[in-house]
Amino acid sequence: MKFLPLILRNLARNKLRTALTGGAIGLAVLLVCFFLTMPAGIDVFLSQIASNVRISVHHKGGLVYQMPFAYVNKIRAVPGVVGADGVTWFGGAFEEEGHVTFPSFAIEPEHVAAVWPDYRIDQIALERFRSHRDGAIVGRQTMEKYGWRVGQEVTLRSTVWPVALTFRIVGEIPNARAPLFWFQREYLAQAMRARGVSLDIVGIVWVRVADPALVDGVMARFDAMFRNSAAETSAETEKSFFTSFFGSLQGFVTIILLVTGLVALCVLCIAANTASMAVRERAREIAILRAIGFGRRLIFTTLVAESTILATLAGGSGALLTYAFTAAVKTTTGGWNTELGPLSGFLVSPGIVAQGVGLAVVVGLVAGIAPAYGAARKPVATTLREIF
Amino acid sequence: MSPCREQTRRRPVAEPLITLRDVSRWYRRGVDVVHALEHVSLAIEGGVFAALMGPSGSGKSTLLNLLSGIDRPSAGEVWVAGRRLNDLSEDELAHWRSRHVGLIFQSYNLIPVLSAQENVELPLLLTAFGRGERTRRAATALRVVDLAPRARHVPSELSGGEQQRVAIARAIVADPDLIIADEPTGDLDARSADEVLAILRDLSRELAKTVVMVTHDPRARRWVDVVFHLDKGVLLGTEGNDALARAPAHGGVT
Ligand SMILES: Nc1ncnc2c1ncn2[C@@H]1O[C@H](COP(=O)(O)OP(=O)(O)O)[C@@H](O)[C@H]1O
Ligand SMILES: [Mg+2]
Repeated sequence: MKFLPLILRNLARNKLRTALTGGAIGLAVLLVCFFLTMPAGIDVFLSQIASNVRISVHHKGGLVYQMPFAYVNKIRAVPGVVGADGVTWFGGAFEEEGHVTFPSFAIEPEHVAAVWPDYRIDQIALERFRSHRDGAIVGRQTMEKYGWRVGQEVTLRSTVWPVALTFRIVGEIPNARAPLFWFQREYLAQAMRARGVSLDIVGIVWVRVADPALVDGVMARFDAMFRNSAAETSAETEKSFFTSFFGSLQGFVTIILLVTGLVALCVLCIAANTASMAVRERAREIAILRAIGFGRRLIFTTLVAESTILATLAGGSGALLTYAFTAAVKTTTGGWNTELGPLSGFLVSPGIVAQGVGLAVVVGLVAGIAPAYGAARKPVATTLREIF
Repeated sequence: MSPCREQTRRRPVAEPLITLRDVSRWYRRGVDVVHALEHVSLAIEGGVFAALMGPSGSGKSTLLNLLSGIDRPSAGEVWVAGRRLNDLSEDELAHWRSRHVGLIFQSYNLIPVLSAQENVELPLLLTAFGRGERTRRAATALRVVDLAPRARHVPSELSGGEQQRVAIARAIVADPDLIIADEPTGDLDARSADEVLAILRDLSRELAKTVVMVTHDPRARRWVDVVFHLDKGVLLGTEGNDALARAPAHGGVT
């Protein structure tokens, strides 16, 4: 490519402008690469927190409706079910400050091990949980956040039930991602009974199935079982449960992709502006080159190559930078960082780098085409006349 | 320089390098038609140094553009080096120019980001020559205009006269038959102008190049073999020895 030195020399002629345009393209590609990690990142995040063999059964009308507690035993009897636990939303808040950052649930302690074996809760802690009526086991994240330790007492006032309960923390859920606060269903039932109300409803039944292959059949079975009853149910896997729970995430992803497109468009305008400025201020030189025999196609090609080379180099750097950055975050945090939360799972893959570079190439090409065409199109006699 | 005169040799001696037959060039400007050239006929032999003179707007640049294949006539025929330029497309003309014409403009001829050597090499990029050959030929051309020591300088480091000499080196580097210069001394002081004129004359004398130059400079008459006078697009007459323009190049007057 004997014209390359000429192209590079032209790029270097206005270094500040080239640097600024290159910077804008690099930054935009960097942003776009980050944005593109989101759909895959959310998926990775959901697979990390959710299991495919765990099913949630809840009221068909939504999570605000309750189901009869008797459903739990019926569910347990279905073939393929390894364990089922009835979970009821407590909505505990601190007596003093109110607001908390963790969800609290009344659950059945004797079924925790069967339904959540992947949480790896300590056997001794589970035993204590079963044997202490006021016992609570709490996610590590929450323990660390409030500086709690095992043996400590915590009082929460329910925002759902007309009670305030004092719990003794008997163990930890050793999962950095679980902020959960679990306590005995029976503890809540007793408190309600003291108020003359019997607790015979449940919010969600979490079910673990022996094998992913059984999941669809079992879910269909549940929904069939309670069809035409007072409380029809809807079953879904934990992953899809969280997906719909984070349903707004999908809208978020759409917006992000929209913004990505706008960023790309914006940087295209910047690159096109640079290209047309470069062509305009070089009108005389281009006319001379054409006069001495540089053909229209050659002029067009070298000008488009100029903007494409700039965009590709800048975009490539931006893409590689994000790649290196997210890879570094992953290795230093071991895949999960409390500060970054789900973001730490958002990795720039080689595929995304390729997309980023591809975007840069397209930006360079498209930005260069119009000015280059303008420079090559006019008859050379006309251009010469305009400048001499 | 190793002048490649094959084209010249192949042509019968009687046939001039440049022949214009009843050439007109008009431009449409809105509803008006501007007649830049009207019924111009002329012939210029190979190796002649010719000047084109006339007031501003008389059609000198228009005529040069037709000779150099930058523009095509509205009527009439333009023959250069055995080729009828009327028949060539814009792209074919570009290619033809790169082989047969060296161009020099009044000023700002050079690409500012390239060194003198690289500027001179530009026309060779359009040839099949390899890098070494291009460098060698460009160096030779710079030696012809006596600027070899300035090869690495960029245009802004050269005087106006030196820049014009680099432009001349670029015009001859691809060994064209014809050198076309539009007011090449227009922006130069007297001494630099004389240097440029002397080089152009030597090109016609020693390398048998045909040089056609537009000039306003009365002193230029001393250097050229023939002067064509244009006014209002009409060729008024030819000054100097008309036989001279038709005679073999080396028999010119001073
Ligand atoms: N592209 C064009 N469009 C319209 N008029 C033109 C164009 N080129 C030249 N002319 C006109 O043709 C005449 C001759 O121009 P030109 O050859 O440039 O004159 P000179 O070089 O002798 O000063 C002028 O009147 C000029 O305005
Ligand atoms: Mg002119």
